[in-house]
Amino acid sequence: MPDTSPQSAIETLRADFRARLSAASTDRDLKILDDEFLSRKSGSVTALLKQITAVPADQRREFGALVNTLKTDIETALTEARAALTASRPPAGAVDVTLPGREITIGRIHPLMRVRQQVEDIFMRMGYEILEGPEVEDDYHNFEALNMPPDHPARDMQDTLYLAAPIVGGTWGAHRRAIPDAQVRAATLLRTHTSAMQIRYMKTTPPPVRILVPGRVYRRDNLDLSHTPMFQQCEGLVVGEGITLADLKGTFEAMLQQLFGDVKVRLRPSFFPYTEPSAEVDISCQSCGGTGCGTCKHTGWLEILGSGMVHPAVFEAVGYDPEKVTGFAFGIGMERVAMLKYGVDDIRLFYENDLRFLEQFPL
Amino acid sequence: MKVLLSWLRELVDVKESAQQVAQKMSLRGFAVEGIEAIEDLSAEASATADAVLDFEVTANRPDCMSMVGMAREVAVAYGLPGPRLDHVRGAGPTASEAPRAGDPPAIQIIIDDPQLCPRYVGAVADVQVGPSPSWMQARLQAAGIRPISNIVDVTNYVLLELGHPMHAFDLARLAKAQIRVRPARAGETIKTLDGQTRTLSPDMLVIADGERPVAVAGVMGGAESEVSGTTRTIVLESAYFNPLSVRRTSKKLGLKTEASMRFERGADPAAAATAMARAIALIEEIGAGKARGAVIDEYPGKTAHRIMGLRREKIRGLLGGDVPEPDVTRILGGLGFELKPTSSGWDVTVPTRRVDVTREVDLIEEVARHYGYDRLPVTFPELDVPPQAPDPRIMRARHLRTILAAAGFSEALTFGFISEPAAAAFADAADLVPIANPLSENFAVLRPSVLPGLVDAIAHNRRREQRDIRLFEIGARFSRADGERRAIACAWTGAAAAEHWGGTARPVDFFDMKAVVDRVCDAIGVGIHTRPSDDAWLAPGRRAAVMLDGTRVGAVGQLAPALADSHGLVGSDPVYVAELDLDALEAAAAGRSLRVEPLPRYPSVTRDISILVDDTLAAADIRATITEAAPVFLVRVAEFDRYQGKGVPDGKVSLSLRLTFRSSDRTLTDAEVQGAMDAIMTALKNRHAAIQR
Repeated sequence: MPDTSPQSAIETLRADFRARLSAASTDRDLKILDDEFLSRKSGSVTALLKQITAVPADQRREFGALVNTLKTDIETALTEARAALTASRPPAGAVDVTLPGREITIGRIHPLMRVRQQVEDIFMRMGYEILEGPEVEDDYHNFEALNMPPDHPARDMQDTLYLAAPIVGGTWGAHRRAIPDAQVRAATLLRTHTSAMQIRYMKTTPPPVRILVPGRVYRRDNLDLSHTPMFQQCEGLVVGEGITLADLKGTFEAMLQQLFGDVKVRLRPSFFPYTEPSAEVDISCQSCGGTGCGTCKHTGWLEILGSGMVHPAVFEAVGYDPEKVTGFAFGIGMERVAMLKYGVDDIRLFYENDLRFLEQFPL
Repeated sequence: MKVLLSWLRELVDVKESAQQVAQKMSLRGFAVEGIEAIEDLSAEASATADAVLDFEVTANRPDCMSMVGMAREVAVAYGLPGPRLDHVRGAGPTASEAPRAGDPPAIQIIIDDPQLCPRYVGAVADVQVGPSPSWMQARLQAAGIRPISNIVDVTNYVLLELGHPMHAFDLARLAKAQIRVRPARAGETIKTLDGQTRTLSPDMLVIADGERPVAVAGVMGGAESEVSGTTRTIVLESAYFNPLSVRRTSKKLGLKTEASMRFERGADPAAAATAMARAIALIEEIGAGKARGAVIDEYPGKTAHRIMGLRREKIRGLLGGDVPEPDVTRILGGLGFELKPTSSGWDVTVPTRRVDVTREVDLIEEVARHYGYDRLPVTFPELDVPPQAPDPRIMRARHLRTILAAAGFSEALTFGFISEPAAAAFADAADLVPIANPLSENFAVLRPSVLPGLVDAIAHNRRREQRDIRLFEIGARFSRADGERRAIACAWTGAAAAEHWGGTARPVDFFDMKAVVDRVCDAIGVGIHTRPSDDAWLAPGRRAAVMLDGTRVGAVGQLAPALADSHGLVGSDPVYVAELDLDALEAAAAGRSLRVEPLPRYPSVTRDISILVDDTLAAADIRATITEAAPVFLVRVAEFDRYQGKGVPDGKVSLSLRLTFRSSDRTLTDAEVQGAMDAIMTALKNRHAAIQR
């Protein structure tokens, strides 16, 4: 049988209030509660108090006190709830921190320049002087002094673009007092390699030499997956007494491991007119770890640069004594490095300048 | 050079697989472009697989464009004897190299120019023309040569085997039974074997009969003296021609053949006689005919053997490590060099086929190549001089790249050559530098400006759903007048401020682009100003020259809409561009050093002024008037509002400027500042009829 005593009616009302309060989440909810329970006209606490007449006289005093306690408790609870709600409300000028930020437009450095800067930095740490040379050249600097006299069959290896009319080439080396800032003779072709700068440098600077020449070079190659008529090269030259092929090996191991991480390096004999002995340099394929895959044509190795010991005829052309000094030279293509490093399979992507490509390289 | 493995194995006793041989030889200087597995062609072998290895022979090694040449390399690489020539397939009784006494010569050979033809070996044979045996045809086909007839096939077989090009003429078609090696006469023509009639010039060497040319020496034979089914007697040619002469002729005629490729790189004069003997032996062996009369050997330009010293100390000096002497002698001996010991090393006699070996370093390369680069030590060059600073241009370009990237520009790289019409929009036609042998119309002239390429890149991106594009490039541009100069160029289309929930996007305008120019110049360390220009490639009213100390160093403005259209930007948002002469800016900045100025010690006073002036009056002129009229303590002038519309009469503009005054040695008084303001206003009224608002 339900307890119908006045005390139990008070407790029922208290429990009811607690349940309603815990569901209230707005000021409006609290106002409704206030009205429902405490309103002088229609509040349920007020109504309960009015039932005092039905309570036996000896219990009226106690009943009145209990209802008053309930009323005070409800008032306190509502006040606290209002304060808590106010405290949880954002202050004036508050923002929605989940909205997106205002974008700072930022551009990207071209991946080939990114790679070029890395190569430059590696050689700078090795004490190389980094310098640029003209893009239009004359036959002497581009070919003849590099042991490629006219009609040399090796000229076929580098199909050349010639200018219809000679022009003055770019300046170089202005920062070095030793070198006149404009050593120009009419340029007749687009340089096929930055090796032309080897000649210009050695002709004006006594050994020892330790230089890296980055820049654009041009060949008469049609655009396809792996060829462009213009590409980016870094050419290096080290000359001194006692420079050996072993030094060349050591330099490339250091350089290529800084550039590609933990790779193995190997040299293969090759032929370039301006070096003897000549070597192609391979790194172990990172896609397969050297076991052979499509990237490395199942050889486990990837060709990365061409190099060799400077041909004595080149030293003779610049007035160095090949009996006294030896040296090594190398040329490394930035496209090749970037393609391997970033997994680019079409060289043309580098020259389309598609933002969807460029923006994949963080600044 | 396509090498049939079974054929190779006849010459040298190599047991390894095609893949193993390929790997080994690629580390000896012969990269393999591919291995093609085919059915075994040798009769002895059962159904085992044969293979063709396609070796890449570098331009300096014509001696390896042959089976014997490659076999020699393989033999040395594997430490095997060889190559064996004595018991190879098809080798019958070897014809004597010596003329056969008593036989009357069946042909007369005259060399007019011994410089261009140092040796000519000729022989006559009676033949029955027909197909060659199947084994010979199979070997030719494996090497990529089409079988034609037994006689032609023999010459091609010898070419493959020994590397020496040969040719056969039909004796009946040779006038006066004569072979004359002479320069072509001006205007002479010949129909070559490929069916083309070619006009010859006196710088070309020909083989002629008593009347007319019958072959282009070392390049291709003539169709009219070609061996045919009715040929009964042939003249075999095995000659040595000057490499340069063959190369020039081949280039001039645009005709590259198996023969010309070998002659222009350098054939072996000694092989001329061997090849002849081999060809005669093969003809007799396969029953194609029999030599008649003496082999004629005209050898007016006999080549002497080169002998050169090889020093032990130089081997170590170049390679950085010792190669044991037995290895040196084994390698060089195996390659056919003769070594005579000396106190410092060896005197080495070079075989005539090794046209590439002319110096001691060439011998050292041979040693290193077969000893193995991998067996040499690894060292690091000593740094014996202080490192030099890099070219400042490189570091400056890096700096500019960072600054422009931070300003929202991505770096583009475009080609140094563009189409003539694209170039002509940016420079006088007379100042363009055309390429003599361009790849295509699109790459016909050197770029006079970096902008055409950059605008193309903008168009490329626009076609791929990009609307807000900022690109820059640093690179060379070219003109006849000024040669090669470096430039920095920027292009910008679409929004200046990107769309955001907190505000609307604003399209790029002139002043956004001008700010970029200012920033670049600031970074280089030069002050520039702009003035209106009339460049046709920029839109009228929105174009300016960038001036540095009175010299034009660049341009900035909106790309002319018609020009944008021609780059495929029809209907696009305006494209703003700027290009600066980097060389000129750097030259102006050279030598400027950065010195810090003392911080101001006295407070500044700012006053605003609003004036009504003609709307055609340049802000720069107003600034100039203000600066001129003001005392030295005017330190800054800034336009902060420019208004036309309600309340401003037509043709006028309301301009508001904020002037900042500050002295370095005292606090300015109100009276001083007011005096300055009065002077400024008076000057503005007098010079520009300005009305103060």
